[in-house]
Amino acid sequence: MRPATLVLGLGNPILTDDGVGIHVVRAVAARCRRDGVTFAEASVGGLRLLDVIAGYERVIMVDAMQTGEGQPGDIYRLHPNELRASLHSGSTHDLSLPGALALGRGMGMTLPNDEAIVIVAVEVEDVLTFGETCTPTVAAAIPRAVEAVLAKLETGEQ
Amino acid sequence: MQKISIDPITRLEGHGRIDIFLDEEGNVANAYLVIPELRGFEKFAEGRPVEELPRITPRICGVCPEAHHMASAKACDAVYHVEVPSTGKKLRELLYSAFYVADHTVHFYILAAPDFVLGPDAPPAERNILGLIHRVGLEIGSKVISSRGKAMDIVGMLGGKTIHPVGAIPGGVSKAINEEERAQIEAIGHELVEFGQFNLQLFHDVVLANKTYLDMILSDTFTTPMYYMGLVDENNKVNFYDGLVRVVDPEGNEFVKYAPEEYLDVIAERVEPWTYLKFPYLKKVGWKGFVTGKDSGVYQATPLSRLNAADGMATPRAQEAYEGFYETMGGKPVHGTLATHWARLIELLYAAERLVELATDPEITDPHVRNIPTEMPDEGVGIVEAPRGTLTHHYTTDEKGIVQKCNLIVGTTNNYAPISISVKKAAQALIKKGQVISEGILNRVEMAFRSYDPCFGCATHTLPGQMPLEVVIWDAEGNEVQRISQNL
Repeated sequence: MRPATLVLGLGNPILTDDGVGIHVVRAVAARCRRDGVTFAEASVGGLRLLDVIAGYERVIMVDAMQTGEGQPGDIYRLHPNELRASLHSGSTHDLSLPGALALGRGMGMTLPNDEAIVIVAVEVEDVLTFGETCTPTVAAAIPRAVEAVLAKLETGEQ
Repeated sequence: MQKISIDPITRLEGHGRIDIFLDEEGNVANAYLVIPELRGFEKFAEGRPVEELPRITPRICGVCPEAHHMASAKACDAVYHVEVPSTGKKLRELLYSAFYVADHTVHFYILAAPDFVLGPDAPPAERNILGLIHRVGLEIGSKVISSRGKAMDIVGMLGGKTIHPVGAIPGGVSKAINEEERAQIEAIGHELVEFGQFNLQLFHDVVLANKTYLDMILSDTFTTPMYYMGLVDENNKVNFYDGLVRVVDPEGNEFVKYAPEEYLDVIAERVEPWTYLKFPYLKKVGWKGFVTGKDSGVYQATPLSRLNAADGMATPRAQEAYEGFYETMGGKPVHGTLATHWARLIELLYAAERLVELATDPEITDPHVRNIPTEMPDEGVGIVEAPRGTLTHHYTTDEKGIVQKCNLIVGTTNNYAPISISVKKAAQALIKKGQVISEGILNRVEMAFRSYDPCFGCATHTLPGQMPLEVVIWDAEGNEVQRISQNL
C-alpha cells in the first residue's frame, strides 16, 4: 500500500475550464504542509486512472463537472457511488470512474473504497477551446475549491 | 422528415450524436454524425518553442497520448533535420508497441467484446466489461487487466511517465535502457505474445464459431468498399511507427505511396456547413459526397485499412493470423466494417511480437540514443499510425524554432466520412418503415460506428462524462411520437 493520501487533479490544463482540477491541486500543493500527502495530476480517465490511484488509502480527486443544471463555478463534493448512474453507460472510450473501480476491485487491485474517494468538482463552462486559463467565473471559484480540498485534508474527513 | 437522435453515442470519448432522418415512409433518408470539435489547437501552438510540442500534444488526447507524443517527436526531428540514432528509433518503437498492446486490449475487451460475448440485444446494463467478465470468468478478466497493466509498465519505463510520456525528444530519446530493464521488458513481451494468441483464439471461439455473428460480420449491412490507408515498411508490411503511407483502392491495388512530407499532395479536406469537422479525402480522386467506391475520394484509416493497405505482417504469428483472416473473409481487401475488430487483434499480436523482437535486438541497450540537433529549424512532418488511424503532425517554425504554423490530421479525422457512410448504411438496413425501433436495433447501428474505435473528445473527460442515451422520434409535423432512453 502506498502511503496515506493522494490529491489528484484531473482534467486537461490546455483546454480552458477542463483544467480547473489541475489548477486547484497545484494551489493546494503550494499551501499544504502535511506529511503523507502526494499530489498528482492526470488528463485521463478509466483504466488509466486506476494506474494512478491504486495503492492509496484515500484519494481526493478534483475535477471539472458539467451537470447541465448548475451554474459555472458551483462546487460539488461527492463520492464515486454518487456517480453510479454512469456505471452502465460506458459512454467514454474507456470506462466511467465507478465502472473502472468496480472492475479493478473485482480483479483484486488494491483500491480505496468508495467512502475513501472524495471528488471535489467544479461546474464548468468551456471545455472545447484550447487555452491555459479558465473562464472568469470558473477561475473565481478556484480559491473556494482550494479551501474545500484543504478542509478535507485538515480534518481527515471523508 | 422525421428525425431520430442517438445522443450521445455510447462508449465514445467525448460527446457525439448520431442524427437519423426518416422520410415520409418511415425509412432512413440520411444519417449524420455530429460532434462538437475541440477548437484552436493550431493557434495555441503558435509562438511556442517547437521542442515543447512533444510534451504538449499528448494533452490533446487522453486516450492515445503516446501517438501524439511520437508523431510530434518525429515532426520535430524533421524540423531540425536530425537523424535519430538506430537505438533511439528502436526504443521509440518499443514504447509504441507496448502502447499498442494496451490500447487495442482496452478497445477490444471494453468496447467491442460485450456486443459479441453478451450479444447485441443484451440489456445495456449487462452489455459491458463487468457483464463480460461475469460471463467469461474472473480468470480471463484478470489476464486482460494484468496484460494491459504490464504493457503500460513498459510505456512508463521507456516514456518517463506512464501517462503523458516525455521520453522522445528531437533527435532521439532522453534515456537508454540497461540490461536489467531490457530483460524485464523481454519477459513481459513473451507474456504479451501469449496474450495476443489467446485473444485471437477467444475471437475464433466466441465470434467466428457463432454463425449469427459471422453472418453479421459478412453481411451487406456492414460492408462499405472504399480506399484504405496504412503505414508500411520497406517490404510493404504493416508498421505503426515508421515508413511510407500506402493507399490501396477498393480492389486492393496500390493507388499511392507517399512520404510524410508529401501528405498535402495526396490529402485534401472537405468542409460541410452542418459541422465543424473537416472531411479528409484523396485529392486526385476528388470529393463526391458521402459515397463509397473507386470514384469517391473517401478513404479509411483503421486496423482493417492497415491490413488491406499492406502486403502482410512483419512477424510470423501475426502473419499466420493475417492469412487466416483473408481466407475466412473471402479474399483481399476486406470491406466488412465489423471485421475491424478481428484486424485489431491481429495488430495486437504483431505489436507484442515486435516488442519481443526489439527487446532482444543486440543494439537495444546501446547508450547512443540521441543526436543533438545542429541544423537550422524550419519545417517538418511526422506521421505514425495511431490505433485509430494515420496521425499527421506538420510544423513550420522560424529560425529560432518558434512555431509559426501547425497542422494536425488526427487518427479519427480520417474516418469521419467513412463512419457517416457506415452508420447510414446500417441504419438503412436495420430501421424499416413501421418497425418498432428497439434498443438492440440502435445498438447494431452503433456497432457500425464503434468498430472504427472513434475518439472525438480527446482529453475532455469532464464529470460525469456521460449523458443518458436517448432516441427521440418525431413525426413530419415535429411532434414527438416515440422516445427510447437508456442509462437513465
